Amino acid sequence: MKFFENKFTYDYSFPAVSLAYFLRYPNPYSRHVLTTDVIERRVDPDTQRLHTTRLHLKKSKIPSGILKLLPKGMGGSDNSGQSYILETTVVDPNEGWMKTESRNMEWTGILSVVEKQHYQRHHAEEEARALDGLSIDKNSEQTTVRTTVTFKSRLGQGKLLGRKKTDATPGHADAEEEAPKKGFFSSLSTAGIQRTIELIGVSRTRDAVLKSKEGMNVVLERLRKGGIVGVLEGMRKDRELAFGPDGTWKRVLLNGSGLKDRAIEDDDN
Amino acid sequence: MAASIAPECNEIKEKYDTCFLKWYSEKYLRGNTTSNDCEALFDKYRSCLTKVLKERGIDSMLEDARKTNGSETDAEFLKKS
Repeated sequence: MKFFENKFTYDYSFPAVSLAYFLRYPNPYSRHVLTTDVIERRVDPDTQRLHTTRLHLKKSKIPSGILKLLPKGMGGSDNSGQSYILETTVVDPNEGWMKTESRNMEWTGILSVVEKQHYQRHHAEEEARALDGLSIDKNSEQTTVRTTVTFKSRLGQGKLLGRKKTDATPGHADAEEEAPKKGFFSSLSTAGIQRTIELIGVSRTRDAVLKSKEGMNVVLERLRKGGIVGVLEGMRKDRELAFGPDGTWKRVLLNGSGLKDRAIEDDDN
Repeated sequence: MAASIAPECNEIKEKYDTCFLKWYSEKYLRGNTTSNDCEALFDKYRSCLTKVLKERGIDSMLEDARKTNGSETDAEFLKKS
């Protein structure tokens, strides 16, 4: 188990930051995000909090560093280059906070990554008062965010490729688990491999957290300048730049992936 | 707006997203939390999406992720923090 932690302050009000969070894709730093869907959304009648569950499809391969550690073939077949991310958020507009959680839905046996963010309204009243004479009140409201990412590799602990595969072919999965244990894991310490995989996850996360912050800042700047219309206009341009005027789907189809195969099968049926 | 995983749902998703952003910024964040302006659009969007998620087997994966994996890691997270 490994952790990554980061704290950051946006010079924007909490309502703006929470809006930008829901609006953050696409942005120039999110080329790897292919699709976003809202699975569930409701306001809790007791607390007035807004609960949202979203599903993101992202382009991401298992890092080559991790692939090298896996027995031959294990990372290959299923590694379509895309992964599903489940994101849940809770917003409390009265108390001025938002909590988010994102997790990978596949490959959880190799590496399970859970990112939690806690956004909190922050009134910089003292500083604002001090700067009053200079009429700088733009930054009087800020939003802090604490990001925690947890990495856990269960590789070699009996559940190799996650649920999907074992459910489909239980007998086959057993055989698969046996082979690497004898031929591969015996020569290296399982704990050592888990640690290495978790460490690779941490180093990639530093980069990802930084990029997502940059992306949020672009969206926030667009919001400040042009409101929601400004954000939508910027998005349209990002989308054309990234995917061409035909949008995401064409790119997904052209790139070749598990999705493509499934789409073709659907057509045939 | 971000595209839907199901191209056939893009149109209704775009309508719903636009409605949500307006409601969220103009009503919800300003204290009018009980209004539900976008419910009808969300129902339409969701019925389009649910069908596609089912066809591709993503629905069962979602359920797994939300139940088993979720509770387990939450417990671990709480223990650590």
